[in-house]
Amino acid sequence: MTEISLTINGAPVTASVEPRTSLADFVRDGQRLTGTHLGCEHGVCGACTVEIDGEPMRSCITYAVSCDGAAVTTIEGFDDDAAMEDLRQAFTENHGLQCGYCTPGMLVTARDIVRRLPDADEKRVRLELSGNLCRCTGYVGIVRAILSVLEKRRG
Amino acid sequence: MSATGIGASVLRKEDRRFLAGRGNYVADIAAANEVALAFVRSPVAHGRIRSIVKPDGAEHLVFAADDLDGVAPMRAPSKLPGYKPADFPALATGKVRFVGETVAACVGATRAEAEDLAQLVEVEYEELAPAVDMLAARAPGAPLVHEAWGDNIALATRTEGDMAAVAARAAHTVTREFRMSRQAMVPMEGRAVLAEWNSRMDQLIVHTATQVPHLIRAGLALFLGLEQRQVRVIAPDVGGGFGLKTYVQPEELVACWYAMKSGRPARWISDRREHLIADANCREHHYIVTAHADADGRILGLEGEVTVDAGAYSIYPFTNCLEAAMAGGNLPGPYAIEAYGVRTWTVVTNKPPLVPYRGVARPGVAFAMEMLLDAVAREVGREPHEVRMINMVPESAMPYTNIAKKTFDSGDHPGAVARAAGMIDVASVRERQARGEPDGRLIGLGFGSYVEQAAHGTSVFASWGVQMVPGYEQAGAKLTPDGGLELRVGVQSHGQGMETTLAQVASEVLGIDPGNVSVIHGDTGLTPYSTGTYASRSIVMAGGAVSRACKVLVERMKTIGGHLLQCEPDEIRVADGRVMGPAGDLPFSEIGRVWYLNPEELPADVDTDGVEAVVGYRPEPDHGTFSYSTHAAVIALDPDTGAVEVLDYIVVEDCGTMVNPMVVSGQVYGGAAQGIGTALYEESPFDESGQPLASTFADYHLPGAPEVPAFRLAHMVTPSPHTEHGIKGMGEGSTIPTPAVIGNAVNDALKRYGAEVNETPISPRRILAAIAASQGEAA
Repeated sequence: MTEISLTINGAPVTASVEPRTSLADFVRDGQRLTGTHLGCEHGVCGACTVEIDGEPMRSCITYAVSCDGAAVTTIEGFDDDAAMEDLRQAFTENHGLQCGYCTPGMLVTARDIVRRLPDADEKRVRLELSGNLCRCTGYVGIVRAILSVLEKRRG
Repeated sequence: MSATGIGASVLRKEDRRFLAGRGNYVADIAAANEVALAFVRSPVAHGRIRSIVKPDGAEHLVFAADDLDGVAPMRAPSKLPGYKPADFPALATGKVRFVGETVAACVGATRAEAEDLAQLVEVEYEELAPAVDMLAARAPGAPLVHEAWGDNIALATRTEGDMAAVAARAAHTVTREFRMSRQAMVPMEGRAVLAEWNSRMDQLIVHTATQVPHLIRAGLALFLGLEQRQVRVIAPDVGGGFGLKTYVQPEELVACWYAMKSGRPARWISDRREHLIADANCREHHYIVTAHADADGRILGLEGEVTVDAGAYSIYPFTNCLEAAMAGGNLPGPYAIEAYGVRTWTVVTNKPPLVPYRGVARPGVAFAMEMLLDAVAREVGREPHEVRMINMVPESAMPYTNIAKKTFDSGDHPGAVARAAGMIDVASVRERQARGEPDGRLIGLGFGSYVEQAAHGTSVFASWGVQMVPGYEQAGAKLTPDGGLELRVGVQSHGQGMETTLAQVASEVLGIDPGNVSVIHGDTGLTPYSTGTYASRSIVMAGGAVSRACKVLVERMKTIGGHLLQCEPDEIRVADGRVMGPAGDLPFSEIGRVWYLNPEELPADVDTDGVEAVVGYRPEPDHGTFSYSTHAAVIALDPDTGAVEVLDYIVVEDCGTMVNPMVVSGQVYGGAAQGIGTALYEESPFDESGQPLASTFADYHLPGAPEVPAFRLAHMVTPSPHTEHGIKGMGEGSTIPTPAVIGNAVNDALKRYGAEVNETPISPRRILAAIAASQGEAA
């Protein structure tokens, strides 16, 4: 077991973890933050995407021990975030979710897109989403939602 | 149209929790003192288990078939004559019949610890020759999956048509062979179960990711030897189903058994590899189809041979022969055909069982029929959309009973084709195609049409021989003391948005704001019996039942309201969430208050059933609704690499009255994206020894946002004459034609070579092989 200290959604956390424990299992089982979903556990589907030190990362293939000293934000930690608020509203207005399982990871990636690529067009948005799989929506509502937030932010 | 009733694109009530990351899926639920299960799975496709050695000191945490006292093998009988049931054991008994089959269960404090233990279990197998390819497995002399059968054919059917008469008149006879590959369904949430025994309730409480909680309850009780009152199945938030989550799983049974035996909650959360190799798969059809057509391309007669690779075992409750039965009944599609003959075979092989996936047999059927139709069009030298239109049942003939005895309720099928052809602009596509692309890619245009029978009723399911025949769907509607509404339905919403759409149906009848309506679903302890959510039935059946139940509430509220407002009940109007009389009106909360809290204000002859009603509904006739659609696509194909890009994709669909057009569109987009996956990417291949070759998302390719086109969608609305509010089922539909649409577009692009690709997924390798074959080269 290895002791780690990090912040999760702004709160300091110190815990002992096995070297093999993924960040996803750590936040879900250890911290009971179950908004981070596991869709493939091998780093392809993106459902488990969280923010680590400001970057979207796949928590299923990130070891918890590697997050010592990091700032981790899960979907539960964006309640006061303006970009996330816009995205959440846009996702519901554009029917960008159905079963809801890919949604937390999709939102974390979407937030990264709208902050990092203010001029992204549809083709770029689709490319940027290639690491997040959705089986329900055909991506139509998701792409529209992100484009609408980009447009709003461009003012 | 009201702003919140039927026809309004009301934003979904369920979105808030999902967007906040506060959904509640099975894996999110923690139980005190729980244990986790992991499974030892067969590494061989076909073999006898010689021995199972449990790790020293952990014998009490490892369980094999002999340990499962009181657990019966899962049997899904069919009443179809000649059907051979293939019992599915919770843990393999004697033989293993596919790679991934559950052999032993291991218990740990966590999933990781249970998996550690599973790695230490030693199992010795005597390998047997496997039956892998369905056509080889169908032939005499093939290795036998179930020795006692004498062959590998679970069911063979034959429907004769009068072919001689039409063949003699036919100017063209066109025969093709098609194959739709085996797939996995891949809901983003895998299968998950948490079982615990509740002594106070004398009940096994099972949280499980299912579409059909009441059917799972029946199956668990049957195979565990419990009474059904002793089983409560709860499907909380479920992360997609698509048909996968409609059968009783071996792992589910073992988790329940262990929870009962140990008294501790037992959890099993599948991983993605388990889904790809060990869950029930889907599709895998083979077709040989022949059209006898006149000189205009009008199909006079159709003959088909349909083989379905059903895998090793039959799933409960829908069996492994539903797929072939549906294929045989759907091959004629939306076309008026004089003569039809079909043979079907349901073949068992050493692969995972087959469970119907969105569209059930119809994506395979449409792949065969729609691509055969285009082959006919090429033969007679006409545009494929024109050949479709002359073969379709015209609107003037509705209702129309087709050659396979399906009665289409309503709709303008040729009109949908014409509209799709206009939207895709056939003439300009042909010009572009003739002009040629600067980059050397080839342009292809493809169409595909279908009719989607949905919400199949009692008579249809009874004819399929399955045990779980749906009858009258029931819904409960209850006015709460403060004037809100609770709806209770036995279906399960796992992405379809029924917490919103069923509230809209109630809003249509009662005028209540959907925000004041709770939809309670997916829990056998809280809802009326229902066979559940599959077959695009829920909004037709549960929607109809909710409507009827709310209408009963209207009558009850009129009686109470008439007393309170001092008028006759028939002078009362219920609208906008209020009870209105000629000289005044009351909010629902006033009705609730009087009924529940101040009944002393009511007369003695009040209706004692109050303001809660459970009402049953089924459409009459109950043969199902018939949505229909035509899709059209333009693709660019690179003849050097075999890469296909979808440039444009049109959907014109008609599902009758739309309860929520936004939700309908979402279902269309999602289904079409899955169809793109079937068409171009998704395949679960097996090698000759029966080893699955796609066990991760690196091998099993799902379409992502860059691969899925920006669909262009148009709705037509022809209400069903047979259902409440004219609603038709539509959730599966747009998966149906997509593989054929892309296939037709590819073959249109390849026509200069005389090449055709007739197998999904239409991968670069298959395209290049088809081009090579057309040029006389070995693939």
